[in-house]
Amino acid sequence: MNNARTDRSLEGAMTPGIPIFSPMMPYGTGLTPQPVQSTNSLSILEEQQRQQQQQQAAQQSTSQQATQGTSGQTPQLFHSQTLTTAPLPGTTPLYPSPMTPMTPITPATPASESSGIVPQLQNIVSTVNLGCKLDLKTIALRARNAEYNPKRFAAVIMRIREPRTTALIFSSGKMVCTGAKSEEQSRLAARKYARVVQKLGFPAKFLDFKIQNMVGSCDVKFPIRLEGLVLTHQQFSSYEPELFPGLIYRMIKPRIVLLIFVSGKVVLTGAKVRAEIYEAFENIYPILKGFRKTT
Amino acid sequence: MAARGSCPGCGSAALVEDAHYAQQQLVCAACGCVLAEGLLTTTYAEEEHLREVAYSQSTGQKEQLSRCLQRGIRRVQDLCKVLHLPTVFEETAVSYFQRALQHPSFHLVSLEKKELLGGCCVFVTCRQHNWPLTMGTICSLLYAKQELFAGVYLSLQKELGLSVPALSLGDLVKTHLNSFRLFQHAADIPASFVEDKEKMVARTMQIVELASETWLVTGRHPVPIVTAAAFLSWQSLQPAARLTCTFARFCKLAGVDLPAPAHLRLKELLEILLRMASQLAWLRVFNMDKKTVIKHIGDLLQHRIFLLKNAFCLEDEEEPRAVAAGEGSPGSPAAGGAAQEEGCPSEGKRQREGGPRPLLPPCLLNPRKRLRTAAPSASDSAITGDEPISDSEIEQYLRGPEEIRAFRKAKAWL
Repeated sequence: MNNARTDRSLEGAMTPGIPIFSPMMPYGTGLTPQPVQSTNSLSILEEQQRQQQQQQAAQQSTSQQATQGTSGQTPQLFHSQTLTTAPLPGTTPLYPSPMTPMTPITPATPASESSGIVPQLQNIVSTVNLGCKLDLKTIALRARNAEYNPKRFAAVIMRIREPRTTALIFSSGKMVCTGAKSEEQSRLAARKYARVVQKLGFPAKFLDFKIQNMVGSCDVKFPIRLEGLVLTHQQFSSYEPELFPGLIYRMIKPRIVLLIFVSGKVVLTGAKVRAEIYEAFENIYPILKGFRKTT
Repeated sequence: MAARGSCPGCGSAALVEDAHYAQQQLVCAACGCVLAEGLLTTTYAEEEHLREVAYSQSTGQKEQLSRCLQRGIRRVQDLCKVLHLPTVFEETAVSYFQRALQHPSFHLVSLEKKELLGGCCVFVTCRQHNWPLTMGTICSLLYAKQELFAGVYLSLQKELGLSVPALSLGDLVKTHLNSFRLFQHAADIPASFVEDKEKMVARTMQIVELASETWLVTGRHPVPIVTAAAFLSWQSLQPAARLTCTFARFCKLAGVDLPAPAHLRLKELLEILLRMASQLAWLRVFNMDKKTVIKHIGDLLQHRIFLLKNAFCLEDEEEPRAVAAGEGSPGSPAAGGAAQEEGCPSEGKRQREGGPRPLLPPCLLNPRKRLRTAAPSASDSAITGDEPISDSEIEQYLRGPEEIRAFRKAKAWL
């Protein structure tokens, strides 16, 4: 009863639709019924809500990590999830998000249903804009690890040893970095290339770093009847033994292309984030298991 | 020219057929009265005798379509005629071709690719109607490189969203054997080499089915398998006379190409047959080898279901391989492993001769030694991407001034 009055009195001050009444909110925390709310108490209210939400989020994440620790599948994935969805300190959101438990992108499946196989990332392709025009001849002359053959290709091919990657550097200042085995490695490698270009005398910056493609592979450890798979999943699969020994499966959600071979090895490509590869593999594994017991 | 009748106006008999502009009129020469006007249309009776002109041959279509499209359509129609395809196929292929050329991704490709596009449309149509046409045939008809054809075919399939069913091996066997020349007597073919077509087709089908059951077909080009199966079935129908004939000679006599992988397929087929022969009661006493087993192919095919079950360990639920057991996957409990042990005692010891081996594709039985990339180490996964980069590390990639001078000199000489 008391709370209903406070709710109506606050309605004019705060924007409507904010769920003030949540189970975690203790009654009477600075909500003295006043016709006009000063901004100070408004921010205090939001601060309190945010703190409680963060506490709850922290509790949720630790409990989830505990359950996932046993299977040890993708701890890194869940870790990054807690960072991105918790509200950043310092920003006061106009609509404090409702106190719902945090949902990870890949739902926590019990260990018996999941495949237990984690695809390994084999290649990451990323692009970055160095932000200045480059003279490729100078770069090829003054850098040891560069090759430049303008008749064959209009870019300098540069390689570094750690992380073992290759970069294509164009005269417009755009650069493509390939060969890294993780997103962080790709970013570090791209920064190293930018530093090399900087030391060669160009005002290189590091703008718009973006991962364009991720390739992963794994092995389901049993042979697969590709002819059967193409019959049942005709709208997604393309199997042409005359052209290529593997079956090309174009998954709609997530939008990933899988190359499935008779030996049971699967290559997944076309992902922009790591979670897409994991999700695609979890989607295809039950389908492939269905083709195992044919004799 | 005077026409019959009299003018209703003046009664004169001088009626003339005159054309007023384009219209025929019956006019009285005396008073100028028009008796009858020519019809702009002919009657149904008159049209019956006219020859019906198909729209595709009329000038109407020529004016509507571009020359490139006309040429392409004609090419598609010629291909269908050469392959003796039904008319339904021709219409479907032409419609696919028109749809494809309107698509933005095919509108501006090179002429060479547009010709291949016509062939791809015919190929897709045949596959959709389960007409066994291989890419090799189409490529040879178009004088095209197979890689280029493959690229155009895949992009056509993607852009138009066509679902193309897989090549049916049974139909391919029949079509491929049709081109063999061993079914009639000829001057260069010894009498004992000529064979009855029905028997050979039936036995080749059985051998191809056996190959597909034992994982020899998945992922491989179908034509070499059919050729190898045809050779085995031909030899087994009259082994006494034909065992001495080599594979190459057989293909030359039959008038077909010997594809390079066919030798390997033949070897794999013979290995399967030898294993099956080891399980047949009245053959166990003999020492079978690659040549002698051919004589008994008939018996082996007759009892193939039983023999396959005994000769090969069929895959069970849990993976039998020792490598897999070490991976620690949560899905392989110890109980399942024990049951597996009972069913296939020699499972882990595949090298032992005579024991049943698992029925697996050859790529899993003879894994090629590959450089396995190490799984990402702990230090690798600790990289955040924002570490500081030392100057010395970058300096190692830059040339010093003397080096640049030396490099410039060297380049000047080149």
